[in-house]
Amino acid sequence: MLPPAKKAFHQPYSFFIEGPVGEERPRRFLEIFAAILKHSNYRFLLDIYSRLAAKCGRCSVMCPVYEATGDPKDVPCHRSELLLRVYRRHFSLGGMLYGKVFGSGFLTDAEIDAMAEAFYRCTACRRCNLECPMGIDHGLITRLGRYILSEMGIVPKALVVAVREQLQGPTRNTSAIPERALVDSCEFLEEEIRDAKGVDVKFPLNVADAEYIFFAPVSDYLMEADTLMGNAAVLHAAGVSWTVGTGYFDAINYGLFYNDHLLGRIARQLVEEARRLRSRKILIGECGHASRAAKIFVPNFCGGEQAPPVVNCLELAWKLIEEGRLKLNPQAISQRVTYHDPCNIARNGWIVDPPRRIIKSFIRNFVEMSPRGVQNYCCGGGGGTVSVDEIRKFRTGVGGKRKAEQLRATGAEIVIAPCANCKKQLREIIQDHGLAMEVKGLHDLIFTALDLKNPGSYPGIDP
Amino acid sequence: MEWEWLAFAKGPLFRLSLMVMILGLGRLLFIALAGMVQAYRRAGNKGLDGARIARQTAAGLIPSFRPDGSRFIYSTGSFLFHVGLIIVPLFLHGHIQLWEKGIGLSWPALPMAWADGLSLLVIVTGAGLLLGRISYLQSRSISRPQDFLLPIFILLTFMTGVLASHPHWNPFPYQSTLLVHMLSGNSLLVLVPFSKLAHVILWPFHHLATELAWRFPPEAGSRILSTLDKEDKV
Repeated sequence: MLPPAKKAFHQPYSFFIEGPVGEERPRRFLEIFAAILKHSNYRFLLDIYSRLAAKCGRCSVMCPVYEATGDPKDVPCHRSELLLRVYRRHFSLGGMLYGKVFGSGFLTDAEIDAMAEAFYRCTACRRCNLECPMGIDHGLITRLGRYILSEMGIVPKALVVAVREQLQGPTRNTSAIPERALVDSCEFLEEEIRDAKGVDVKFPLNVADAEYIFFAPVSDYLMEADTLMGNAAVLHAAGVSWTVGTGYFDAINYGLFYNDHLLGRIARQLVEEARRLRSRKILIGECGHASRAAKIFVPNFCGGEQAPPVVNCLELAWKLIEEGRLKLNPQAISQRVTYHDPCNIARNGWIVDPPRRIIKSFIRNFVEMSPRGVQNYCCGGGGGTVSVDEIRKFRTGVGGKRKAEQLRATGAEIVIAPCANCKKQLREIIQDHGLAMEVKGLHDLIFTALDLKNPGSYPGIDP
Repeated sequence: MEWEWLAFAKGPLFRLSLMVMILGLGRLLFIALAGMVQAYRRAGNKGLDGARIARQTAAGLIPSFRPDGSRFIYSTGSFLFHVGLIIVPLFLHGHIQLWEKGIGLSWPALPMAWADGLSLLVIVTGAGLLLGRISYLQSRSISRPQDFLLPIFILLTFMTGVLASHPHWNPFPYQSTLLVHMLSGNSLLVLVPFSKLAHVILWPFHHLATELAWRFPPEAGSRILSTLDKEDKV
């Protein structure tokens, strides 16, 4: 039995839609689990993890949710055990024998509810993985748990509605932006750039044979005009050949958060559009999960080395600055600035240095958070939970508590978060914790500092 | 009478325990490797950076030195515990003598002072880890019976080992001490494949296994849906 929590947090599951299961939930859960084990690559891993888990609790010091609640139910190893236990009891030889002899019982409804709660308290930030001496990837277990639950209809409504529109809706994107509205929005952004910089910068729509096809997290077209203007300005100033396809233009892939099959279907849509316009590379905008989903899963689902390479816009921007194709005015930003590492691009060490190099090339008053980079704390809205407005109090008060403390400690006036999800979550944290700080994308600041009339005119700051 | 028990524990019982351990670990290794080969075959993306995986696996051996690592003592203690736990049983002069008598193989032994020092290190760090597990809520709340019993067996084996090799320190009869040492040591060998001690064989593969598991088979999703007789609809 678990001892009572220091500060228990009970969230009603009003944010799930649960379709008609039509039969006993536990039986359905096990059928789905069995089908997944049969066709996917999880079985051997669950077997290894079950035997490896040392139950040392070292993961607990890494988990922002456990740090905030002190509830043993939030220890990552405990959370994973909820699913590993079901695996052992129902799918391993030892567990089945043990059950026959001692009667370990059938999966219960209460266990399913406990998993549904636990797997959405976790933001799948995978910070705990860094500390686990047995290398257990609790984020992967969270995903698998969510995958099983999603196949029986237990998924946050916000995620399902978005993915349904993206895969089956007329607009084919998570924000339901019609093609006409996208075109208008691009024209509006072009006008804004002209007003701000006095230069004509195009959003080249449906241009065939471009080097890059650009996919922004589609919500940027509604919420992050400055980031998109920065993206366009950078590509224009450096003379990069790029395009946006109006057939499919959404980088968001919520499949990464809860369902392998949907992850694959969405990744394939990116590649189809790239092939339609014969673009050589896929460029993803400022979005952590979309970048990771494309980087890892485009090759996975679309033919390995045959798939078009995936580049994140921060990587490209740094490459262009390094090549001297883009210089930024070091006087343009005078505020104190800090940088938030989105888990999906930083945890695996993929994009940690490039944004810092970009920042240091033109921002003088830069302060780091601690810890940072690979070790950075999740914003608290990871794993798709940021879309679930019903749990905002939990996201900002529990999951985002450490992040709020980190932000406050920097004393920064601007926090850069190159990720659409982190931006939304950080704005809500700032509001709910009463911080005096602005959230911006890195390309927002690049846009401010970039002189489009004469892009090579500044020497930059010496490193 | 006790000598007969000792001979039994040292001979047939040890051979049996060792056999159980080797066969059990062989089975686990086979299952893990077969799973990894299958995962690799099914994977959509077959590019694997072996050097990076090896580097990241090895990095797991280094104790945590994070500035805010409140479990720094725990992880360092665990590291030191393992050092003694691996070296002493394999390189103790008395153990090597037994191997030489049994199968004619021998190898250089650890100087006795080192063996004593490392054994004490195991006892001190092992007791510390056990206390840490008991006193921290986050460890205690997730612990299973084996998490308490295994360290107790290990401590018992090492304590009786030290006492048996220093009869002048030992308040207990020599033969009984040695018998307890052998019985608890043999029990540990038997438990290796059936408990978390299985990490002696599985640990080196943890990173590779995780990496392979992230390579989702491209067609798995559709197959799962057809097995479940579900439509491909969101």
